[in-house]
Amino acid sequence: MSGATINLLYFARVAELVGARGEAWPLAETVTGAQLLQALQARYPQLEPAARLKLAINQTHAKPSAPIRPGDEVAIFEPVTGG
Amino acid sequence: MIIVQEADFDSAALLARLRGQVGAEAGAIATFTGYVRDFAPDQATETLFLEHYPGMCERELHEIADTARQRWQLAGTVIAHRVGALPRGAQIVFVAAASAHRGDAFRGCEYMIDALKTRAPFWKRETLSGGRSFWVEQREADHQRTQSWDAGDTPKEPT
Repeated sequence: MSGATINLLYFARVAELVGARGEAWPLAETVTGAQLLQALQARYPQLEPAARLKLAINQTHAKPSAPIRPGDEVAIFEPVTGG
Repeated sequence: MIIVQEADFDSAALLARLRGQVGAEAGAIATFTGYVRDFAPDQATETLFLEHYPGMCERELHEIADTARQRWQLAGTVIAHRVGALPRGAQIVFVAAASAHRGDAFRGCEYMIDALKTRAPFWKRETLSGGRSFWVEQREADHQRTQSWDAGDTPKEPT
């Protein structure tokens, strides 16, 4: 299926390193968060080591083992620093 | 009450709104206010830029407040957080917990600011007076405090 994507969002330093606030990322079948981070690092070597990055799937914090499905909104960021 | 905005907030007005909500049910309100401080004694901060993830941010803050309300039987809560460019000395965050007794109010307030620091999707970028600019790193002590709260304890790690 060629049209299946996820909506990737990049925040803070990740957005700076990638040079974008987000993008549509082709995803034909379910992958884990860890697999997505690996694929991102292959595309953007400047994110290395991407395994340190955090994920949110559909606006909820997610573990690296969490499944990501076509159509999901997935945010990639470094540990948060508010307050 | 959850507020995420660029504009400054009036903590006295927020406190008055909370008192209006909880009435005489709450004999105690504990509050915390966070301000933009210098990065280090010899490195003055000029601007702190706060980036956030709209939508998820508000959701997380609601969840943190709900957890605090249930765990410490709070009558009401406030979390207000600013985003955008904040000058040195500006208010960043205001947290308030209303309860029948002070112990629950103190602990609920402390839990909310601790949980916010490790869960709410905000990121700080410092610009020092010398011009150097960088993203702030999460402190290990903050991470450990959240783990203590999650384990059902009151954290002893230094803030």
